[in-house]
Amino acid sequence: MANETQTSFRNDQEVDFVIVGSGSAGGIIAKELSTKGFDVVVLEQGPFRKASDFTHDELSVLFLNELLGGGQKNNQQTFRDDESKVAVVQPNQPAEYAQTVGGSSVHFTANFWRFHEVDFKERSLLGPISGTNFADWPISYAELEPYYSRVDWEIGVSGAPGPFDPPRSRPFPVPPLPVKSSGALLEKGAKAIGLHAQPAPMAILSQPHNGRAPCINCGYCMSFGCEVGAKSSTLAAMIPQAMASGRCEIRAECAVFRVVTGENGRESGRVTEVLYYDPEGKEQAQKARAVVLSANGAETARLLLNSANSKFPDGLANSSGFVGRNLMFNGHSATTALFEHPLNDYKGVQVTRIVHDFYDSDPARGFYGGGGIDARPLLVSTPAMYALAGMAPDAPTWGKAFKERLAHDYARQMFVVGHTTSLALDSNNITIDPTHKDRWGRPSLRMTYKDHPDDLAMAKFLQGYSMQMLEAAGATQSWAMPVHEQNAGAHLLGTCRMGDDSGSSVVDRYHRSHDIPNLFICDGSSFVTSGRGQPTMTIMALAFRAAEHIAAAAQRNEI
Amino acid sequence: QGTAGAAFARTGMASLLALAESACTARDESAAFETLSQDEAREFEAIAARILPTTDTPGAREAGVIWFMDKAFGSFGAEWFADAKMGLAEFQAAVASEFPGAGRFSDLDESDQDRFLQTQQESGFFQLMRTGTILGFFCMGSYGGNRDDIGWKLLGLSGGHASWQPPFGYYDAEYVSQNDVQGERHGE
Repeated sequence: MANETQTSFRNDQEVDFVIVGSGSAGGIIAKELSTKGFDVVVLEQGPFRKASDFTHDELSVLFLNELLGGGQKNNQQTFRDDESKVAVVQPNQPAEYAQTVGGSSVHFTANFWRFHEVDFKERSLLGPISGTNFADWPISYAELEPYYSRVDWEIGVSGAPGPFDPPRSRPFPVPPLPVKSSGALLEKGAKAIGLHAQPAPMAILSQPHNGRAPCINCGYCMSFGCEVGAKSSTLAAMIPQAMASGRCEIRAECAVFRVVTGENGRESGRVTEVLYYDPEGKEQAQKARAVVLSANGAETARLLLNSANSKFPDGLANSSGFVGRNLMFNGHSATTALFEHPLNDYKGVQVTRIVHDFYDSDPARGFYGGGGIDARPLLVSTPAMYALAGMAPDAPTWGKAFKERLAHDYARQMFVVGHTTSLALDSNNITIDPTHKDRWGRPSLRMTYKDHPDDLAMAKFLQGYSMQMLEAAGATQSWAMPVHEQNAGAHLLGTCRMGDDSGSSVVDRYHRSHDIPNLFICDGSSFVTSGRGQPTMTIMALAFRAAEHIAAAAQRNEI
Repeated sequence: QGTAGAAFARTGMASLLALAESACTARDESAAFETLSQDEAREFEAIAARILPTTDTPGAREAGVIWFMDKAFGSFGAEWFADAKMGLAEFQAAVASEFPGAGRFSDLDESDQDRFLQTQQESGFFQLMRTGTILGFFCMGSYGGNRDDIGWKLLGLSGGHASWQPPFGYYDAEYVSQNDVQGERHGE
């Protein structure tokens, strides 16, 4: 499916950059560097699907994990909630991300909240939190704002300003998507209890933009790829430009297993090449002047750790010991309700209204944390998932009455989801599993994770307001799904955090690793704090900014 | 994003089906089952038909759920077939003990079938049958079930539900009529 005319480089030809991963960060950096004239090879472990390959096939996508590389059968990730335990391969994949060109920007729901000023300096504002690695970012919102605006315009974001939004230098390029019944009800409920709903900023086009077609309201965004390219994935918005540059080769189905550093002379302590399995499973090497890791906040850390050698025995770029630590998921709560009339929440994009009244942390609550709330068809977007997992607790599970409830309730149910901060902890981390291997034979990703009590408290706090809003909106029946400690995450953040101090961070403020001058890292792993639950907008803004600085350094011959 | 929530929802379910390619062969009414024996098919179908019964609307039987199961147990769900066979054997033994001389589950009348299934609701076998029935009823017809979109039609979904136009539901129609949201309504 790859473009037949795409540029190709020889493996033994030293290219300017190898980028590992083609997702939210890798796709942008590939486009930026290649269009600035650098030769780029992107190694992506997933296949090169195009828009017309994406389906509404619930079985394949949700149950057989088509876009997740086949799920645990192939990936064999292990999980434990405490470092004293032996991690096991559980049925659901702990680090949930898409294996496909465009990465998780292909299958994500496309909520595109900017971080606020506080997200970058909350440690200074609130003080330390004992037992955590709570810290400020080395950069500010103002420093990142121009890149958020580039994401809005170059990636494509629909929306309208809201009352709690941070300042923006440019308006949204296209207006919000059409409001859904779930959004209208969230707004009604919010207003009734003194809160303020606003149109959701979404990385899905409401109108044609940059030559791309707008949304057709099919409803298959969350976990699915967009068949018309209206969802602003890097596959839709960046990869075509990268390939058109004539300087970027996207090598799909190529799974990197080691980043190699040189031993002698000029190459000592520098990255020289990247080793990977090609689509036939054969080992290959690609030489590069510099390497950018954008493999996501779980896989980037795993690759650095799996690349340990005699010079870097604890893994590459890990003199601080911070590689893999401080994994953050964002916490979540789910609350749901039935209404008298049909909402048909399976139609249209998932989210059309959000509530940001509780964005800031408030010491009066008695715990750290902030968050946002949205209305969406969490478990009513597709029929089988609904019948298996989404129905009311009093609904029969089989028989005539089950069938009647399905027919009546499916159109009338909606969910309100709370999204919270996660605190950075040493004990939440990515390491290498000592036993298991993935389908390529790479030592498995081992995840250790337990939500901080404040994260759970914040999720329950948001759930309380979610319930109030649903009831105030006129729900005929409402119920809360239990908030519990998570054993999987789709937001993979914090494992190679940026910072000015090389003793407590992995990359500098420009995403260059402290230890290896020609190794750059930019993806969710760069985060110092987790934000309020929608990280992709910030990953993309960081990627535009990182690419600018990497290119400038290369032009100055400072890599 | 909701994927974390979806992951939560899938907990314990992803393991129900093995991961493999499923060939999308054409359904043929006269074709023999590829994976199931006639006895297995008859029993599984009878169970599915009580989980999503034929009422004033078509049920699991009309939707061809059994053809989905035949395909699933022969491909992406193959790792569960042994459990299904073993579960059926125990299930049939319990039927024989509860209804001596009555034959198989599929030979019972519907009220006896329902009474018996009440006693089986917690079993792994029943849960497997329920999951298979729901997936077969609602997943794409290319997997053998959901014939004539019977599953989707039950929920009010038409055809392949390819695209929609606002108003989507009662409350956004009401909202738009009460608010000045032309831009949002028309995506202008």
